[in-house]
Amino acid sequence: MKKPTLTQAMAWLHTWGGLLFGWPLFAIFLTGSLAVFDHEIDHWMQPEIQRQEVPIAQAAEHALAYLQRHHADAGAWNIALPSERDPGLRVTAGERRRGISTDLDPRTGEPLKVREAAGGSFFFHFHYTLNLPRQIGIWVVGLVALATLATLVSGIVIHKKLFKEFFTFRPNKGQRSWLDAHNAAGVLLMPFHLMIVYTGLIIFGLIYVPAALQALYGGDVEAFFAEQIQAPPHSHGPSRAPAAPLVALAPLLQQAEQRMGPLAGLSIQHPGRADARIEVRRVLGNRIALSKGHNMVFDGVSGALLAGPPQLRPTVLTQRVMFGLHFAQFGGYPMRWLYFFCGLVGSAMIASGLVLFTVKRRRKYLVEGRAGDFGHRLVEGLNVAVVAGLVLACIGLFWVNRLLPVELAQRAGWELRLFFALWALSLVHGWCRPHLQAWREQLGVAALLCLGLPLLSALTLQRPWADSGHLLLELTAAGIGLLLAWTARRIGQRGAQPLSRRAARPLAEVN
Amino acid sequence: MLSAFFAGLLLAYAGMAALCQGLERHYKQVWQRLPPPGRRRALRLLGWALLAASFAASVAAWGWAMGPVGWFGQISLAGFALVLLLPYQPRLALLWPGPALLVWLLCRLAGG
Repeated sequence: MKKPTLTQAMAWLHTWGGLLFGWPLFAIFLTGSLAVFDHEIDHWMQPEIQRQEVPIAQAAEHALAYLQRHHADAGAWNIALPSERDPGLRVTAGERRRGISTDLDPRTGEPLKVREAAGGSFFFHFHYTLNLPRQIGIWVVGLVALATLATLVSGIVIHKKLFKEFFTFRPNKGQRSWLDAHNAAGVLLMPFHLMIVYTGLIIFGLIYVPAALQALYGGDVEAFFAEQIQAPPHSHGPSRAPAAPLVALAPLLQQAEQRMGPLAGLSIQHPGRADARIEVRRVLGNRIALSKGHNMVFDGVSGALLAGPPQLRPTVLTQRVMFGLHFAQFGGYPMRWLYFFCGLVGSAMIASGLVLFTVKRRRKYLVEGRAGDFGHRLVEGLNVAVVAGLVLACIGLFWVNRLLPVELAQRAGWELRLFFALWALSLVHGWCRPHLQAWREQLGVAALLCLGLPLLSALTLQRPWADSGHLLLELTAAGIGLLLAWTARRIGQRGAQPLSRRAARPLAEVN
Repeated sequence: MLSAFFAGLLLAYAGMAALCQGLERHYKQVWQRLPPPGRRRALRLLGWALLAASFAASVAAWGWAMGPVGWFGQISLAGFALVLLLPYQPRLALLWPGPALLVWLLCRLAGG
């Protein structure tokens, strides 16, 4: 047997690697694009929280008063302050992610009844775990990212006319058009693709390649992070420090705001005790480097600044800049929109690649009478379910959020159950219906749901469209709905004319 | 910042459009004839100059650290939009940045 040339070997890798890893990758890309606006989606899914202009010092006072009244003996308090992207005021007694949370009205300090919702945070977590158990998910997503880098590079190698066809797109030509679109999205956004996949791998680099951590810190991640932020160790001894009043927050917040810019929140360890300690967090994004965890720490009784914000060593800064490039917290809303659209075009590139796989084979299989083969049908069905089905499930989650009763117990869990049920349903539908009809119907329904989102708000909320952020989200969804509707319509036309013509030609040759 | 952002986006699109017209195939696609060699070179030069101007606008919007990141996003998306629009509306795809630049100027004058 002849040894394949480099291009042939790369083409094989690109085809099969692209297919197998393309399915999870599409889900990662699409949910990642949505996660660019995670707080905005969170806010949309909890319409009970209204945007109000309240000075943060006043909001913090309300929060503190509530915590002192209801959770005086908690070991830790956390306050999420209203900010531009996240207008809610939320207090938590106990640890930040595991304690009891209450939403407050920042103007009055009264507790708000807010519906439980999966929110944009769901897309964010799905993006890097695929909803698997966290550690397994991180490994799976890492494997997909590694394969994606290989697919990107092999894609560049097998592209025959990268510069000559830099601006080329020839619609209405079947396979040719799919390849053109796939190439254009791949080549023009290559800087984004390489950057986002590589930095994505780097984020969990210490999990994938822990050798340095083992050698230098004995595998202790906490020690590694503690050294980065240069915070003095905090005693967690069992002995209870004597009671002592908490220092006034307003001057601390003012000091922190001057130093770090807009603030996201604060946490108080051991409130009401002599060893109380206050940690103030900033809103991320006044620099590229991800400053998550790089906070200012104050003594909770004297108000003295104990540490932070840390000066980063060049190595840590390099790592943090790569995190930041991936997290896209910097550069304000214009940058967020660029990342969002780049992510959508990336998703479209992956989807077109998946479609291309079946388009290429379909003709051959029709001639050979193998179009009904199990393998081919499986790929076609999975393509529909992964691409159209996930789009449908994502927009479906927005609908479910508005339609489920507000008082339902375990509400966020039900939202997700319905999300996955919808996705599973799309798999069944994609398997049962003829291929092109399945595409058209699922994309059509997704388009309707997108276009109907502003109406849904009008029907289910008392004051719809009052929040400009909500309105913008709904209009964006409607815009995407128009694109989906156009796509569904085109599929309908293709199914009626050119495909049959194309299919007829080789059949005639056979006869 | 917003004004510099939109300027950067427009310049990125215009630059990509000029570079695209510097290629015989796409010049012919729009004007149904081959470009004189001098014009082709001029279009390419103009394209690179516009992209450079777009880079400057991005730096003005975001500074030297974030500016280049945003610029890559802008030229990528602008190029992709051009590629999709070109076969459907060739002339419109090339000429809309002109009026858009006027609107940008008016907004700039009105908003200060």
